[in-house]
Amino acid sequence: MNDRTPAAPPVLGVRDVTVRFAGLTALDGVSFTVVPGSVHALIGPNGAGKSTCFNVLSGLCRPAAGTVTLGGTELTRLAPHRIAALGVARTFQNIVTTQGTVADNLMLGRHALSRAGFAASALRLPRAVREQREHLDRVREIAGLTGLGQHLGSPVALLSYGDRKRVELARALCLEPRVLLLDEPVAGMNAAERARMAEVIGDLRAELGLSIVLVEHDMGLVMRLADDVTVLDFGRPIAHGTPDEVRQDPEVLRAYLGADVQAEDAA
Amino acid sequence: MTGFLDNLLGGLALGAVYALIALGFVVIFKASGVLNFAHGSLLLFGGYLTAVLHDDLGFAGALALAVLATAVLAGVLDRFLLQRGGQSAHSAHVQTIITIGIDIVLLTDLARRIGGDLLSLGDPWGDSVTALGPVTVADSRLAAILVSTVVIGAVFALFRFTPWGLSLRAAAEDLEAAALMGVRLSRVRAGAWCLAGALAALAAVFLAAFPAPGLERTTGQIALNAFPAAILGGLASPAGALAGSLLIGLTEALVVGHQSDLHMLGEGFGDVAPYAVMLLVLLIRPNGLFGAKGAVRV
Amino acid sequence: MSDRLLDGLTSRRAGIALLAVTLCLPPFYLDAFWLRIGLFSMAAAIGAVGLALLTGTAGQLSLGHAFFLAVGAYGYVWLAGEPGPGLPPGLAALLAVLLAGAAGGLFSPVAGRVRGIYLGIATLALVFLGHHVLLTADSVTGGFNGRSVPPLTLGGFTFGAGDPELTVLGVPFGAEERLWFLGLALFAFTWFTARGLLRGRPGRALAALRDSETAAGVMGVDVARHRSAAFVVSSLYAGLAGVLLALAFRRVVPDYFSLALSVDYLAMIVIGGLGSVAGATAGAVFVTALPLLMTRYADQLPLVTAPGSAEGFVGPTEAARYLYGAAIVLVLLYAPDGLHGIVRRARDRVRLRRPRTPGTDPVTSPPQPAAAARSKEHTP
Repeated sequence: MNDRTPAAPPVLGVRDVTVRFAGLTALDGVSFTVVPGSVHALIGPNGAGKSTCFNVLSGLCRPAAGTVTLGGTELTRLAPHRIAALGVARTFQNIVTTQGTVADNLMLGRHALSRAGFAASALRLPRAVREQREHLDRVREIAGLTGLGQHLGSPVALLSYGDRKRVELARALCLEPRVLLLDEPVAGMNAAERARMAEVIGDLRAELGLSIVLVEHDMGLVMRLADDVTVLDFGRPIAHGTPDEVRQDPEVLRAYLGADVQAEDAA
Repeated sequence: MTGFLDNLLGGLALGAVYALIALGFVVIFKASGVLNFAHGSLLLFGGYLTAVLHDDLGFAGALALAVLATAVLAGVLDRFLLQRGGQSAHSAHVQTIITIGIDIVLLTDLARRIGGDLLSLGDPWGDSVTALGPVTVADSRLAAILVSTVVIGAVFALFRFTPWGLSLRAAAEDLEAAALMGVRLSRVRAGAWCLAGALAALAAVFLAAFPAPGLERTTGQIALNAFPAAILGGLASPAGALAGSLLIGLTEALVVGHQSDLHMLGEGFGDVAPYAVMLLVLLIRPNGLFGAKGAVRV
Repeated sequence: MSDRLLDGLTSRRAGIALLAVTLCLPPFYLDAFWLRIGLFSMAAAIGAVGLALLTGTAGQLSLGHAFFLAVGAYGYVWLAGEPGPGLPPGLAALLAVLLAGAAGGLFSPVAGRVRGIYLGIATLALVFLGHHVLLTADSVTGGFNGRSVPPLTLGGFTFGAGDPELTVLGVPFGAEERLWFLGLALFAFTWFTARGLLRGRPGRALAALRDSETAAGVMGVDVARHRSAAFVVSSLYAGLAGVLLALAFRRVVPDYFSLALSVDYLAMIVIGGLGSVAGATAGAVFVTALPLLMTRYADQLPLVTAPGSAEGFVGPTEAARYLYGAAIVLVLLYAPDGLHGIVRRARDRVRLRRPRTPGTDPVTSPPQPAAAARSKEHTP
């Protein structure tokens, strides 16, 4: 059912990626490498191009130049669903769930891993029914892992904000990803929810051994979780290194000077 | 050659009338994101009022009253049905389907009143014609071109030079942002619907005038041909609607005029030619000729 | 918990069996008028389920349903008839359904690229162009006067009057009685398959498309393929409905397959509640039966006059149209999840009143498809 080996995830390489929107350069020659099994944070002031970078990684946006590779496969020309099938999953900055229950949403995450087509589902062929049952079992496991077990039958619309954020995370995990892209996973959460989410992300990395690319404004979280940090400003990479190195980089301090990191944290 | 010029002028006149209707679709779409399926019955309502009133009030008086009444009706429908429960209680899609319901009710009632009759609108042009060099044109067509040009010019001036026009453009860009900037969306909407209603009532006059036999219960359906016109231009672009209308009007007139050369397409292809053109354009440009390409935003 | 589940399952099975038996009874007790209402309702329900999948679940507005119904109906008539290849009617019916599906597939270059309201208008074009073809391609369609429909014969049994003569339990089985059972079987098939689709992998993918194409793509759903597939599946159901309608009418004419028919189908799924099989069925029965009942009982209804009486009065057809136009508006304004939602809310209310041990089930209120229709597109 899942032909992916649980071995270490492949290297995600971003090389000289440039994106332009109607004359505006959103990303300008961005390069970084996500070491297998690491947490790589992408930070920068608002409008630095972090979300655009995620859109390139997940195939929603085609770069004007540059390449993204996962192991030996180039992702740059692939449609989003192909990239997803290769094991790159993501969450969104604003919650994007579909209607229906938590289970429905998580089962959507199993789409690429299951095969039942229109005819098989319509006629309820035994293999389609069996497949659905097997995937539902795995969905239950993942829901348990992310603390959503008791909400599986609840409509997503009735959940709290923090829970809905976790539904998105769980749905991404249902793809059995090798690389997980998290776009501001704790934005809008209160302190307790943040702490819990940080714990979940830490656990994931320890237990599932996947690479995580993280966009986040919460510097505390970034410093705590990240192995590597790439700093973007106006679409250009201005610094790269461990959290401690980046914290002391004069370029980074200058970029953040007007944008006051602390104030953003509070918001 | 004169046949071709005849068709050209006929197409121009038809295009001008379509433009009045298509402009209505566009203003409503810009202000509220709704495609108004009740436009045909609004048009029929305006025409019917003109037809009923012209004996007592004279053509000009009847038309003025009909335009006003249709404007009010459109505004009232929007305010009390579509916007019921607040500005954004229902999505644009749902509101669009509500207009289908409204259309069914209005059209049923008007069709019942008109029955099988052909109503005269009492327009001053009758069946008189004017010779323009080699071609002879029905006065009603000249009037359609002239009046539409003036009215459309006025509407474009309204867009450009009035605070309402500015608000409309802001609303079309981004409803939420416009509201935050202090644009009174309800007023923009009300203005848009009233304007569209007025334009539809005006268009009814030319659709029922010579060489058409008069106002029938099916006259409103002609408004449907303005759908392709509005879509061709890109629903949010008034200039596009104008261009689309002329293209559709000319296509229709030329296809009808050259029916004998196009017999392999079947008799009456002129009526559906606008849709064929629209499908072709949408295949190449999914958002219409002037429509902005929808960017992916996450 | 599992006991309750088991109880629920058994009572569900019993309910379905009871329903099946009940639906088999009418031919023995009701006259042809009621059977025809039922037959048209079943055909409409099959078509409406197809549209519900496309517009309700996948979120693609279609006003072109009449076109695909016409392909099914005319496809059958031509394939089984003379002029035409004169195939065995059973085979012709099957091919006609596939033909409708293929027509939906041919539309996919447009369906895959054009979105939202633009798609609605593009499908409108199908109806007008299709109607034009029906009128002008005389040799295939019979032109304005249409064609008579050859009866369906399966293994020597004709779904028409006679051949073989048949009397069941003292009731002579004519065309209506036979077609009732055919309609019932096809409807049951539709119900079974559509619910399988909706609850399975394809249904989830289509619903994801409706809520956000971006998110659906990122979750691994091939957006373009599923957008076209929704059209194909919806057209297959429309084709099946078209064949059944042709058999019930015994004559197909172009004017039936007009824009008004497309709007009827849209009204069915809106009134029933977008995106649910049961809702589409209820809406189909409502929209189909209303004008027929109004006509039959015109003389007993206040404010309605019999057809053909003095002008200026409200005839039964008109009264039906007033009612159903108003129903669309009222349902969308006050109960956006339609009949289906109203029933479900009532059921939940009854359930809530029943005493229950606290804390067994956190799910008390149903999902709100009201929001379904409201936030169709994700605007971040």
